[in-house]
Amino acid sequence: MIPHESAVGRAFKRDPEQAPTEDVRERVLELEAQGEWIVHRVPDDVVLLDTKYGRKKKIPLRHTWHHKSCGQCGHIPGYSTSIFWLHRKLGLDYDDPRDQTSCTAWNYYASATSNSAAQAAVAVRNFAAAYQTGYYPIIHCGTSYGHYKEVREELLRHPELRKEVREIMAKLGKPLVMPEEIVHYSEWVYAIRNELAVRKVLDLSTITVTVHPACHYYKLVQEDAIYDPDIYGGQRTAVVTGVATALGAKVADYSTWFDCCGFGFRHILVQRDFSRSFAVQRKINVMREEANPDVTLTHDTGCVTTLDKSQFAAKAHEQFAGKPDVPVMSEAQFAALALGAHPYRVAQLHWHAADYRPLLEKMGIDWQARWAEFEADLERLRRGEVQYLTWDEVDAGPGPAPVLKPFETARGVAVVVAEEGRKA
Amino acid sequence: MTQPIVVIGGGPAGLEAARAIGDLGVPCVLVEARDRLGGNPDSASYSTITLDRRTAREALDTMIGAVTDHPYITVHLETEVVGRSGHAGTFQVSLQKTNHRNGSVGTAVDAAAIVIATGFDHFDPGRETQMYGYYEFDDVITLVDAERMFSEHRFVKPSTGEPPKRVCFIQCVGSRDRRIGNEYCSKVCCGVASKQAIEIKQLLPDAKVWIFYIDMRMYGHWEEKIYWPAQEQYKVQYVRGIVTEILRKGDSLLIRGEDTTLGRPMEIPMDVVVLSVGMVPSTGTRHIARALEIPQDKYGFIDTPNVPLDPVSTGVEGIYVAGAAAGPKDLEDSVGMANMAAMRAVALARRQSLVAAE
Repeated sequence: MIPHESAVGRAFKRDPEQAPTEDVRERVLELEAQGEWIVHRVPDDVVLLDTKYGRKKKIPLRHTWHHKSCGQCGHIPGYSTSIFWLHRKLGLDYDDPRDQTSCTAWNYYASATSNSAAQAAVAVRNFAAAYQTGYYPIIHCGTSYGHYKEVREELLRHPELRKEVREIMAKLGKPLVMPEEIVHYSEWVYAIRNELAVRKVLDLSTITVTVHPACHYYKLVQEDAIYDPDIYGGQRTAVVTGVATALGAKVADYSTWFDCCGFGFRHILVQRDFSRSFAVQRKINVMREEANPDVTLTHDTGCVTTLDKSQFAAKAHEQFAGKPDVPVMSEAQFAALALGAHPYRVAQLHWHAADYRPLLEKMGIDWQARWAEFEADLERLRRGEVQYLTWDEVDAGPGPAPVLKPFETARGVAVVVAEEGRKA
Repeated sequence: MTQPIVVIGGGPAGLEAARAIGDLGVPCVLVEARDRLGGNPDSASYSTITLDRRTAREALDTMIGAVTDHPYITVHLETEVVGRSGHAGTFQVSLQKTNHRNGSVGTAVDAAAIVIATGFDHFDPGRETQMYGYYEFDDVITLVDAERMFSEHRFVKPSTGEPPKRVCFIQCVGSRDRRIGNEYCSKVCCGVASKQAIEIKQLLPDAKVWIFYIDMRMYGHWEEKIYWPAQEQYKVQYVRGIVTEILRKGDSLLIRGEDTTLGRPMEIPMDVVVLSVGMVPSTGTRHIARALEIPQDKYGFIDTPNVPLDPVSTGVEGIYVAGAAAGPKDLEDSVGMANMAAMRAVALARRQSLVAAE
């Protein structure tokens, strides 16, 4: 099925001419020309990817400002650590800012207690913060990403909202800034998938993967999501699936791939039992019955947490009846493991609820030895010998030292690998 | 002498407009981008015409014959209109061969008026409706794929070539769908699906055929000539309900959805699922709107600001539209509009020639 082969020779051809929506990015530039705002241009080193209707989207490879996710940092910190670790592994510079705020999408999707100007102001404050560093914003959370794209639509269509937000920005001493592209981290991982494949140190050919595409990534402002004719005939977003296949894993299909993970925003707040039941009965059980995966990969905070932690609830109610857990992680964590990242120091799988250890064994990772190393780290912390783990210690994991080499981008630009990781 | 009228598009509406203009004794230049006339019924191998089920080939041959042998009509195949200058009564229309776009020298035609008949494209279910798996399951087909099989006097399960036992149609694919931005009804899909359901039963009397619909829109005489015979004579089962997804189930398909009459979910195995795809503006319609600087509606069809009493005038004086270039149309609408557009264009050309004679 991946790539899809049709006995009757059918192949979907995307046609930007048939796109039912306007290309809002053109409007973004028009507003800049009218002096309405500053457009933060994507840096030079980009990969051009196809979106849903065949338009091209610029994905920056380096010099990126990382808009982190509240849920990732709070519940699954190995998610964002793995994204940074991959940057370092490829020698692509980035900024991990300390003045980023939450996106307020919880407000937007779950309770609607805020207002348009406040929400838009939060979004563009983060955009302005990125602009002022010179680093380009890249967003870790699928919900923030979807929310910001909807904010972009609102700001484009409502001059009075732009005026209101511009005044708020002036009070903060910041300009009104709109990025040329709104980019999700999984688009970056997809853009570098072949570079990851070159650098992988584990054989994943025996690993079966299921993919949960995140609703807020591809169902909101859907024309901006990445598609590829080689992935399900160009009928599903390509981002996570393309990474798993590039790394050599087998991607298995299951019938409820389109369904929500169960998080649902309102549901996780006011009907959490429904979220747990949905995640287990409509997603995990169906995957297990139809595809028997070793792991399921996704690309959003809420999806990882819901699919992962709901399994704990199901086990507490003895609903698995002896069947194994289905480990859940982001494709960034999976890719980092494939490239030799430490499962605890980097991927931090000890924060995950579903049992991941059989997966690690199948991937060829000695999790007991790695855990012993991590316990030793903890002991050093406990004794006060160190305050935190450094990147040097993290890179000294089971894999080889970083292989930093230039590579070709879609525009034929060689990325010169130079400075090390995080901005000083 | 009366200036010619340029008709753009060689499908049913364009053929009929050209014939009408020629029959009124006015020179007509018919421009078609493909290498043959006939439009969608020809390129998509339509089998029969809704409503009378006359063969499409026979009907097209009649329409094409009336144009190609006409002394007042000049046909330009593999030719595109790439621009215009001038005003109503004194247009200059720029033509270019489609297969010599790079470096070729175009020609210009003087024209009193222009009739656009660039038609529609069939909605591509891969664009939006991933849950129907058109590009994943060979046995999910469209009305167009089915029509092609009927033109070969067969109806089979594409994956095996065997006759199917269970077939269903899903209505309103790409139409009446606010989520994807196509709020309009495509008008013909209910009738065509019902016609095809009858044809399946005629070819395969033992097959079971379902039609899942939001509501059936059988205009005028389609009601008693297609809808009721499909139900009463051919036992086609009409189910009011929405199919939400199609899954693979062994060698067959499983449709899931809701029967909204019974108010409960349904899961039914099928051998073949036919998606009743609607109409979207054709590539040619989008192109001609840009080339002639004609206003389009929000969907990309040619805008007709004076409907309902004047369905052929566009936003530019002297440029008229006929058929599905202006939005979903059946054949009756298309040829009716073609004649009205022809009459408006001829009237303008005659007025212009009288002014010139003074």
